[in-house]
Amino acid sequence: MTTTTTNRGGRSRRFRYAVPAGLASLSLVLAACGGGGDGGGEGGSSGAPAADVLDKASGVTTVSFWHAMDGTNAEALTKLVNDFNTANKGKIEVKATYAGKYDDAITKYKAAIQSKSTPDVIQIYDIGTRFMIDAKQTIPMQAFIDRDKLDVSDLQPNITGYYSIDDKLNSMPFNTSMPVLYYNKTLFKEAGLDPENPPQDLAGIREAAQKLSKKSGGPADYGFGAAIYGWLLEQFIATDGKEYCDQGNGRDGKATKVLFDQPEAVEVVKWWQQMVKDGLAANTGRDTKAAQAAFKSGQLAITLESTGQLGGFSKAAKEGGWELGAANYPKITAGTEGGPIIGGASLWINGEGKEDANKEAAWRFVKFLADPKSQAQWHTGTGYFPISKGALDEPIDVEYRKANPLFDVAVKQLESTKLTKATQGCLLGVMPQARKASEDGIEAALNGTDAQQAMTKAAQSLTSQIEQYNNSVN
Amino acid sequence: MNAKPTLRDRWVALAYLVPALVVFGVFIFWPLVKSIQLSVQGTDILGNPSGFVGFVNYSRLFSDPDFLQVLWVTFAFTVLTVIPSIAIALLIALLLQSRIRGVRFFRTAFALPFAFSVATASVIFGVLFNPASGVLNGLLSYIGVDKVQWLTNPDLALWSVSGATVWMQIGYNLLVLSAGLGALPDDILEAARLDGASGLRLQRSIVMPLLTPQLFFLVVVGTIHALQSFGQIKILTVGGPEGRTTTLVYSIYEQAFANNNSNYGYASAQAMVLLVVVLIITALQFGVLERKVFYR
Repeated sequence: MTTTTTNRGGRSRRFRYAVPAGLASLSLVLAACGGGGDGGGEGGSSGAPAADVLDKASGVTTVSFWHAMDGTNAEALTKLVNDFNTANKGKIEVKATYAGKYDDAITKYKAAIQSKSTPDVIQIYDIGTRFMIDAKQTIPMQAFIDRDKLDVSDLQPNITGYYSIDDKLNSMPFNTSMPVLYYNKTLFKEAGLDPENPPQDLAGIREAAQKLSKKSGGPADYGFGAAIYGWLLEQFIATDGKEYCDQGNGRDGKATKVLFDQPEAVEVVKWWQQMVKDGLAANTGRDTKAAQAAFKSGQLAITLESTGQLGGFSKAAKEGGWELGAANYPKITAGTEGGPIIGGASLWINGEGKEDANKEAAWRFVKFLADPKSQAQWHTGTGYFPISKGALDEPIDVEYRKANPLFDVAVKQLESTKLTKATQGCLLGVMPQARKASEDGIEAALNGTDAQQAMTKAAQSLTSQIEQYNNSVN
Repeated sequence: MNAKPTLRDRWVALAYLVPALVVFGVFIFWPLVKSIQLSVQGTDILGNPSGFVGFVNYSRLFSDPDFLQVLWVTFAFTVLTVIPSIAIALLIALLLQSRIRGVRFFRTAFALPFAFSVATASVIFGVLFNPASGVLNGLLSYIGVDKVQWLTNPDLALWSVSGATVWMQIGYNLLVLSAGLGALPDDILEAARLDGASGLRLQRSIVMPLLTPQLFFLVVVGTIHALQSFGQIKILTVGGPEGRTTTLVYSIYEQAFANNNSNYGYASAQAMVLLVVVLIITALQFGVLERKVFYR
């Protein structure tokens, strides 16, 4: 008798086997069929509204704002939003919502386009810029700037350059960071190196690493180590004055291929590979936190990271009793013309399906966030780079840089970089995928594949994706 | 004995089935149909279906060398997690049968991993595996072993993720097997002992066959569970290094949602492959393994 029950139990379980694949497909369907409607743009959404719409509007205009900031960055942002709301009481109210990290925020935004529920303002990462232009949902900042005949000379040209095509600003840069070279001065001294003379190029890092690494009798586990992070390779290419994708870094037309398999890029990867092979560099993988942790604990003497890490590294140095140094991002070979590209995210104003009052209120909010006072507050509260030149003269900012003198390295680096197509950075619809592909290439090389072969394969893997993307937006 | 069901009986039966049919329909059959439909469509940059493309997604899939690797990784991950997690749980369950002091404590302790969510356990393992500050490398350094790159060494990453998964799976397996062992009929064991069976002989010839329903259940459920695994891969390795831990489900996620991708068509084609894989494996398990199961 027990036999039958057990057996029947076994049979009824068969139904479950449809579940896993069903679930996998369910999530796709939910995402893909959010609206199912046409996300396309009817005309009339890409221009700025009349400047006086808000004066005519009655009641409070609510601006929905999606951002991707968490932790202390979110606190600083909330403070700014509150300040704006207080100053515009009874007229405009900004409702800020955390939309998840960058990747999640853009995924949610896509779903929102389909269900016609986009926020008035959204923060999108740098590499989503081309996508945002092609999604045709937003009003370019230039439309507002031209309408108001606004003087934008206060904005750092090297920052707005990234978000501009033909000198027309698409989105308002917001949180901005740059890569710099960080090094451990204490370890430099122990290895007999001059702590005030950090390496400037690949050969310099190698030379220093030979004295710093345990393998050759140095004080650190590894002289050098950085995360396998595509952004860093993009920076090396730019500091060498080279372009990352064709069509003038996607600024003259839609890019059709990436160029991270060009000789200069491969040289970087080869150098990196050899450093790892010789025990002079650690391969800490793609997780940026792993390389950060290793540098903080003194296992690495030199690393490459964003200015955003300055606070964390300073704190670790203080706690660990060692001295932190920062220097310009290294070049492939010292002396070449070029400089690093800014990173971070920018603010986009949605026009498609929005009331004029909302567009105008959104613009005022964005303008508020970009002004020197807000930027000084933002910069000192987060460590992000201020997009406004004037912010650097605000008292709180001057004080901040007095307390964090290393930040001046980044300021000087930004101001001395010549704005070219190379340093503007590549605009590419599939830039997030391209970054990942370059990481695939670097990772394969660090694990022993021939550098040229690995990078060529990675670059080629993008060809069909780029083609598909370009076809679907034409 | 039973009369032929009347029309009314059929309606009543249907009424009872409706709730289940609705749930299955909405959450399983409709998405399934939709997935099939999406898998033969292109996708525009916003993720909208962009028209019928025939079997382009499928042909792309099978001409992609990376996809072969994905299938291989999925297979290897399944084998590396299902078999060890059952074998180890079985060993522990048998040991816990012995009448030692504090056995209840051990039983709870060993079953505890079951109470951890995949996310929590993965974060903890991430800390243990950390090459610079992790406990594992810390312990190894005492015996002079150099730092092991648990999660970034391409030859090792899958083993590490599998190891973490085995740990997560053992608790559940242990509960099922302990319950099975506890329910063994005393008279049969008694009879076997009277016949002179003891120790290993008793375990192998009497206990094991009696435990086959539970073992079979764990193999089937564990396989499906392994094929669906996502959290530990996302948290520990994000599919790397070099795609060596990218399983089918992770690849579906990457194509559909990661890196600003929204290749729902391509991802749906992969989901169809997953469906077929699960169906084939399950059919095989029922066709081959179930025959060896001894149902009382």
